Amino acid sequence: MSDTTPERRDVLVSLRGVHKGYREGDRERVVFAGLDAEIERGRVTVLLGRSGTGKSTLLNLVSGIDLPDAGEVLVDGRSLTALGERERTLYRRRHIGFVFQFFNLVQTLTVRENLRLPLELNGVRGAQAESAVTARLEQVGLADRGESFPDQLSGGEQQRVAIARALVHDPLLLLADEPTGNLDGETGRGVLELLARLVHGTGRTLVMVTHSSEAEAYADRCLVLVDGRLQERERGAV
Amino acid sequence: MSPLLGVAVWRHALRHPVQLALAVLGIALGVAVVVSIDLANGSALRAFELSAEGLAGRATHAIEAGPAGFPEQVYVDLRLGARVPAAPVVQGHVALLDHPGRALLLLGVDPFADHLVRSFVAGPGEARAGHLPALLTQPGAVLLSVPLARALGVGKGDRLALRAAGLRVAVTVVGLLEPADELARQTLEGVMVADVSTAQEVLGLVGRLSRIDLALGPDGPGDLERVRALLPPGVSLGPAGSRATVLDQMTRAFRLNLTMLSLLALLVGVFLIYNTMTFSVVQRRALFGTLRALGATRGEVFAAVQGEALLVGAVGTALGLMLGVVLADAFLALVTRTINDLYFTLHVRAVHVEWLSLAKGVALGVLATAAAAALPAREATRIPPRATLARSTLESGVRRRLPAAALAGAGMLGASAALLALPGRSLAVGFLSLFGVILGFTLLTPGALVLVLRPLPAWLGRAGSVLGPLAVRGVSAGLSRTGVAVAALMVAVATTVGVGVMVDSFRRSVAVWLEQTLRADIYVSAPTAMSARGGGSLDPRLLPRLAAVPGVEGTSTARTREALSSLGPIKLSAYSLNPSSRRGFRFLEGEPATVWPELEEQERAIVSESFGYRHGVGRGSRITLTTDRGERELTVAGVYRDYGSDRGVVAVSRRTYDRYWDDPGVAAIGLYAGRNADLAALLSEVRAVVGVDDAVVVQSNRDLRQASLAVFDRTFAITYALRGLVTLVAFVGVLSALMALELERGREVAILRAIGATRGQVWGLVLSQTGLLGTLAGLFAVPLGLTLALILIRVINCRSFGWTLDVHLDPWLLVQAVALAVVAAIAAGLYPARRMAGTSPARALREE
Repeated sequence: MSDTTPERRDVLVSLRGVHKGYREGDRERVVFAGLDAEIERGRVTVLLGRSGTGKSTLLNLVSGIDLPDAGEVLVDGRSLTALGERERTLYRRRHIGFVFQFFNLVQTLTVRENLRLPLELNGVRGAQAESAVTARLEQVGLADRGESFPDQLSGGEQQRVAIARALVHDPLLLLADEPTGNLDGETGRGVLELLARLVHGTGRTLVMVTHSSEAEAYADRCLVLVDGRLQERERGAV
Repeated sequence: MSPLLGVAVWRHALRHPVQLALAVLGIALGVAVVVSIDLANGSALRAFELSAEGLAGRATHAIEAGPAGFPEQVYVDLRLGARVPAAPVVQGHVALLDHPGRALLLLGVDPFADHLVRSFVAGPGEARAGHLPALLTQPGAVLLSVPLARALGVGKGDRLALRAAGLRVAVTVVGLLEPADELARQTLEGVMVADVSTAQEVLGLVGRLSRIDLALGPDGPGDLERVRALLPPGVSLGPAGSRATVLDQMTRAFRLNLTMLSLLALLVGVFLIYNTMTFSVVQRRALFGTLRALGATRGEVFAAVQGEALLVGAVGTALGLMLGVVLADAFLALVTRTINDLYFTLHVRAVHVEWLSLAKGVALGVLATAAAAALPAREATRIPPRATLARSTLESGVRRRLPAAALAGAGMLGASAALLALPGRSLAVGFLSLFGVILGFTLLTPGALVLVLRPLPAWLGRAGSVLGPLAVRGVSAGLSRTGVAVAALMVAVATTVGVGVMVDSFRRSVAVWLEQTLRADIYVSAPTAMSARGGGSLDPRLLPRLAAVPGVEGTSTARTREALSSLGPIKLSAYSLNPSSRRGFRFLEGEPATVWPELEEQERAIVSESFGYRHGVGRGSRITLTTDRGERELTVAGVYRDYGSDRGVVAVSRRTYDRYWDDPGVAAIGLYAGRNADLAALLSEVRAVVGVDDAVVVQSNRDLRQASLAVFDRTFAITYALRGLVTLVAFVGVLSALMALELERGREVAILRAIGATRGQVWGLVLSQTGLLGTLAGLFAVPLGLTLALILIRVINCRSFGWTLDVHLDPWLLVQAVALAVVAAIAAGLYPARRMAGTSPARALREE
């Protein structure tokens, strides 16, 4: 993702001339003023930046949760800005997986039910859903915790469940917003390794917003958001 | 929709069982009140209809005159001249002296003709035929149904002491009737059957009939003409069963008022559901945000929240229906007593569970839940995916909408005022305005809260309070929830104020009216249980004897009875008034100086305010009355204030009455003592003249006034009961709201505890906050309550009964109302305070 468009790359996400601002009291705060960017398919892109620079806003725009004030957001060639709220929701349901800083598991559902939820929303039920759930839980090493409720798990376990849930319906694009922000260093590293393992070499695309410099080690590409613009960063540079 | 969405939402409710139980209880109480009133009203009406239907039998038409009846020769002429199936009836109410307060309808029939119309007295069947010889030959012979005899504790051969037509008489039970079906059982529950001649003797109607029932066949119209041609003046022919319609109309306003009051309970219940659902949506913002991020559409979230509400509503409604049937039994007793006090004799043994009433309860419960949950469900759909919107943003959104809400509230008040200003008499429009005013005030409440709370933290801070400003800011910061809680409590308390001021004003108006009207020192009358039905009558020979008692300087007499008129059946009063009694009349139309001479000398009539309102009759109007001398047209000389009957009364002078009706009866005699008379001694002397006769009541002026007010208080007992239930529903609502509010603020309280606030201070914080909510709700309830009172007094009462009342405001009532709100709110805060103070700070912080 950069202001300069690389040639012949397999682009999954494109942002073209995106303007986005928020009203804060009486004044308007501009987050993006004509942002252009692209994200390549099948790669792990890490997005760095200081608090308040618009990293989460960018994820919201890419997932169709939010709309730009002007400009266009294309995912897999489809313009999200041209879709209505319901169509964007259905698009998100089918093609996007989310991992949040605070896990955001449904506290009133068991681990298995949390994983079944995206499948059921996509109309996948019964044995097919159950086998997908079991497979994902095994991948994240929690096959024996399927009947637990989220509040019976540690933070790291909850985030592993969240990763499994984000991937259970095989989304086109995985978005992670500070996935290690609420975890200790060692647990955080475990989560990053897990994410990298589940994405690398599978053709999946991951965009991860983080403060963690450790995340760079797992990235194919690092971008920094400064003053509403994205800058490519060399791996290992601080 | 994914079933897991429903599971995720519903398990949250199950994890908060107290909140869930309160929501269910609120709906259950609201539905129970509506269903119970509907069942009680329906049961009373059905009992009356069944009884009227049973008594009418197969009769298609009835020949009638006033209560004094018409000569029995009419029947003879009819049999000979028209040759139609006809059965004569002599009937009147009699009081059972061994069962105080119990009255029965004495139904005198011709056993040889009655089977043409009714089958429960005489007809085929050995058992019935077995009673006939005794019924026809034995003096004072009567028949009772087996259930009635069992209820009275009498059997065949037993004697019963009665009071009828002002005299004591004794009758003998010569046989028991086994009701053939439910209709007969219901009919005979309040009926004593006798031969025509026995009934004539007992009721003082020798040679006269009350009615002739006709069972006309397909040749009806031709028969009708022949029958009509044979009737003398003053006797009319009409369709059978019209009595039931009249009585239905008579009590309609009374029943409608009860229904509307019960709907108020449901309205408060709706607030409760709205409150509960709003809280549960606010509590689950993160959940809905996550669900939306995962791809749940707005429609799916809306359906999940509505589904949860409907499940709660369904459980609450089911419980409400059961509770409603139980409550109906208690309400039925109150409704029946009021109908007996004010309208007519009614025997209702049990609540008849009408499926339609239950269906109405289900529809109301479910619809009310759906309507109340619609806004919170919509709010849930607007929670952005990932719940990125901060709580403060939600609250500032609420604050942004305040001006619009206030504007809508003001608009609602304006529309209600416009509806009230419209000319017309529609009670439904009156109630619509009433509910519009409630809604208008509700919409204004959050804005008013902000205005009132704004300066408080600074004042409290200057006064040195640390937790005070925190408590106030807590109320202010959670406006999305505190606004609803305050509005719900305000509506409940305002209902208390409105109904309280209305009843108080009514009672004062009646008390003043009684004081003005009851001018005599001593009253001698037939017992009220009978005179309320217009059937009470004193022995006419009593008047000269009482007038001759030393110390009695003057007398007045009154006779009240049913009569037929061009406006349908009416209540007719005949007065012979002392000049002092006349001063007690307050004329709303006509001047006393002209009205009284016109009444006495020009055979004019005066009508009560409610009669005038109901029939659009005023001074100068003409009313045609069916008298014993034929139809007479009387001009109305004046309209006077009278709270004695909501049907209204047409009054004539005794002189006019005696000229046109053959009825020497007197229902009440007023005795005026001389200037220096000893009232206690005079009362003893009057009692001595009357003798030991429980068919006559002798009362001092004061006693009569107190007895009249006792009837009034009995009438409003059901209103008080309903008002209490409305308050209970509101209390449940406030408890639920406060609990959710306080529990949601667990982290804030935990931080306070962590930095050193004691348990006592947490108690103080929570209770001062709930106390503040209660105080504000109580204060806001005062203007709303007074507005409701004015609408109830000036519009609803007037349109229901045709009465204007003087508004009386007892400041103590307002103080009580505010205190009620504060106490209810503080009581509702006790449980949350206990929980908050008892929670470990470490745990509360960790749970966040």
